[in-house]
Amino acid sequence: MPVPAPRSTDATSITRNSLGPTHSATVWRTLSFRSTILDYLQQFDLLTWQVSNLTLLPKLKTPFRFPSPAPRSFVHSSINVSGFGCRFTLTVEYKHSIVVKTWDNVSEMIERIVIDGYRRFQRLDLSPIPGLNIVVGDNESGKSTLLEAVSLAFTGRVNGNWASEELNPYWFHQGRVKRFFEDLRAGGATSPPEILIEIYLGEDDEPQRMRGVHNSIGADCPGVSVSIAPSDDFAEEFRLYLADTPPSILPVEFYGIEWRDFADNPLHQRPRELAVSYIDARTIRSTSGVDYHTRAMLTDYLDGKERATISLAHRRSRQLITDETLKGINERIAADESFLHDRSVGLQMDQSSRTSWETGIVPQVDGIPFAMSGQGQQAAMKVALAMSRRHETAFVLIEEPENHLSHTNLTRLLSRIQMLAGDRQQLFVTTHSSFVLNRLGLDRLHLLHDGRTARLTGLDESTVKYFRKLSGYDTLRLVLATKLALVEGPSDAIVLERAYLDATGTHPTDVGIDIVAMGGLTFGRALELCQRLDRSVVVLQDNDGRAPDEVRESVKDFLERGKRELLVSDQSSGTTLEPQLIAINDESLLRKVLGVASNADLNTWMTNNKTESALRILDSPDSIAYPDYISEAIELLK
Amino acid sequence: MNKLTLAVAGGRKTQSIIDRCLAAPRGRRILVVTYTMANQDQLKSRLSRHRPMEATVDVQGWFGFLLSHWVRPYLPKRFPGRRLTGFDFPGDPGRYATGENRFLDQAGRAYKLHLAQLALETDGASSGSVVDRLTNLYDEIHIDEVQDLNGYDLEVLARLMNSTIDLNLVGDVRQAILHTNPQERRHKPYKGLNIKKWFEEQEFAGNLEIEHQATTYRSIQTIADFADGLFDPSLGFAPTVSVNAIATGHDGLFAVATEHARPYLETFDAMCLRRMKTSAKSLELPFRNIGVSKGLESQHVLVAPTDNVTKYLRNGKALEPSAACYLYVAVTRARASIAFVCDRPELLRLPIWTP
Repeated sequence: MPVPAPRSTDATSITRNSLGPTHSATVWRTLSFRSTILDYLQQFDLLTWQVSNLTLLPKLKTPFRFPSPAPRSFVHSSINVSGFGCRFTLTVEYKHSIVVKTWDNVSEMIERIVIDGYRRFQRLDLSPIPGLNIVVGDNESGKSTLLEAVSLAFTGRVNGNWASEELNPYWFHQGRVKRFFEDLRAGGATSPPEILIEIYLGEDDEPQRMRGVHNSIGADCPGVSVSIAPSDDFAEEFRLYLADTPPSILPVEFYGIEWRDFADNPLHQRPRELAVSYIDARTIRSTSGVDYHTRAMLTDYLDGKERATISLAHRRSRQLITDETLKGINERIAADESFLHDRSVGLQMDQSSRTSWETGIVPQVDGIPFAMSGQGQQAAMKVALAMSRRHETAFVLIEEPENHLSHTNLTRLLSRIQMLAGDRQQLFVTTHSSFVLNRLGLDRLHLLHDGRTARLTGLDESTVKYFRKLSGYDTLRLVLATKLALVEGPSDAIVLERAYLDATGTHPTDVGIDIVAMGGLTFGRALELCQRLDRSVVVLQDNDGRAPDEVRESVKDFLERGKRELLVSDQSSGTTLEPQLIAINDESLLRKVLGVASNADLNTWMTNNKTESALRILDSPDSIAYPDYISEAIELLK
Repeated sequence: MNKLTLAVAGGRKTQSIIDRCLAAPRGRRILVVTYTMANQDQLKSRLSRHRPMEATVDVQGWFGFLLSHWVRPYLPKRFPGRRLTGFDFPGDPGRYATGENRFLDQAGRAYKLHLAQLALETDGASSGSVVDRLTNLYDEIHIDEVQDLNGYDLEVLARLMNSTIDLNLVGDVRQAILHTNPQERRHKPYKGLNIKKWFEEQEFAGNLEIEHQATTYRSIQTIADFADGLFDPSLGFAPTVSVNAIATGHDGLFAVATEHARPYLETFDAMCLRRMKTSAKSLELPFRNIGVSKGLESQHVLVAPTDNVTKYLRNGKALEPSAACYLYVAVTRARASIAFVCDRPELLRLPIWTP
């Protein structure tokens, strides 16, 4: 077999010249690197060629193996993988020449999600990261909407039904709808609200046939878009509707849905390569078996051959009922024929696509049908189905895995997610559980707020590990609070609350101030997190016998004047809050507020009953005076 | 490597493409592009008999190929905000139309006439993304009936030749009777038969390897010789060698009187061919235009000759190249016999058939 002459090179990769005159290189990309590498190697006469310098990074979970028995001439063999959306390099050495071959991109990856005018999102522009993505946000911040939109763009469906059947006026951003009708009444020219959802994949990702520039930013990459806009077919009806002082409800019956890829080809069904698994928080209690998403997952899980086998057996068994069981009945009907009709009448099993095997097969857990098993089991099972190794799914969307699961089961599920989330799949997990967030890794967080997102970038790796160990810590309070105060312990939190009430007449919680006690967390880690999130915070810390500047020194990188302030109590009045309070308050007032008899030492009692003292201060009808650093904190928080 | 096979009519050109598809290894991604619709349908049905194959094979027409892979994905790069809404086959923007109007009609459909030029400009505007995308989609592209390409089509070919895609071209320049744009002035010297020169230049430049294939599996030697004789020997075509030695009892070339055309048709079930709708109007026979008969074959063929062809048959007056190509296509449809129908068959210097 002639040695294939390496041809043309790619500017982005190794070129003929860079390897010297006897070296050459060629580049191509492919869907399945394994079969392609084998195909490629089969072109060579392996008796004379030697393959060398294939390095395998441990990151590839399914190791590459040469066909057995491995050709003897493979001197040293392994494959080089550099992470998600990676590139494989193979070097073939023959006498004095070397052929370097590179394969790119094994997995597809969403590089950007643009959502415009859909439900809560005025405009969302999210850049996901490879592997795991955790989306957190307050209730109603649009976490589920985000997953729903991604699923809509990939499958054309919402809740398992075609988008065109589900379309309703509340899909549109209500602010825009309101403005549209206001402008309309004011007589201004205005364009009706529209919806746009776009998913951008990596430029070299499969499927390349979906690559083009038909997207809102003009990027050249594969992708899909859903656009919902007034249909040209109903332009006249739409105009008449608006001319007739309509109620502030969009007439969606005059809207059309366009589902296209970036090459501007219309899509009619879920693109095979972009298999997505959507694990929603809802569980099934219906008798009809499984929902659309679970069924899609199940179908993807089976390979073509298995599907064909099941389908054949299913059809045969139905035919058997027609041929045997219904035979006697049909004979009886035939005997009564004269009463019924002048043609032959009979019964047969429905063999239409409505009765295909997919609708008749349900998963089971320990012999109990899926729909009848516990909610936690259902969730765990869906994750197992979607993330199994052999599954073709490139994208997995998981909505609030903490729902319906006991702590132990959640821990088990999370370690499974973490184990399976590798180079092969891209995951989107929404959550409002700090536990889930801490466990899966803070560095994977996307914060969703007011339809906008923020990423936690540049977080120190040790901090991520730290939070993972401290997974019970309520990290989400730090992430989600409108205004944040960090204090040493619960007693400090309670006293600050009372102090704020005394100073302003309102409870801090009523104005969105969250006072968080540090518990086991160090101020440094918390401040680093706040800095990466670019959020403002007031930190109140005991001096522990040190000067304020000395305390500030260790965290000065994370502080910013007016935004992230560290306030430290005065060194001369004692190390913790209790001696500070004693120092500036009249002793009899304190004894009265705390209900401590004169024979007891105030300092000892307060230090031994920190939380109790704080609660008594909080509940007392009398107000006490507070140290300066607390007053300053209140000024900053106001 | 880019390859061009120039084969004679009946040289199993299409079959060679199918064979290549069947022999391709698993996972190889192949696109087969053909020119005529008839050929496209034929290829699809012939390939589908062999499915599933190891390789993935897509079949597209030339215009479909340009529209879906060259123009549609990147049109906004050339004309911002524009989308392709369809294909305008008959439309003509006029000679002086410029910019968008030269390429797209009122409804946003691309004119067939300038489609290849639009494809090239779109690729240019996308800084080569069109070809890059194709490189990612296909490992090899086969183009059947490549002789029908002209003008800007050739530059599209050139860009594919320069990509990493393996290009396999198959054609017969003596069948160059269709043109993507008959009025095209670009590369006019390479139009029709002369496309051979362009291919030879590409070979000289190292972009292409040309292989000649002079064996026909269809027409008997008599017909093959007659077909070879239509062209000036200076064009340098190797003599066709027929491997069809089956005698049917009615073999070779014949002349038939107009009034005997119907009985002839009934006796031999011949395929009836004419140059165009207006030729042989007086004859009420199930005629097919030569232009759409490419790729077809029949045991016996009945041809309604044009005046020029009649003159050629009478006294050997050389045909101009385009007319020779048409007649070449017509006679090479036949396996066993050709009959020319005319008012005075005795003048054609051929055996006369009578019922």
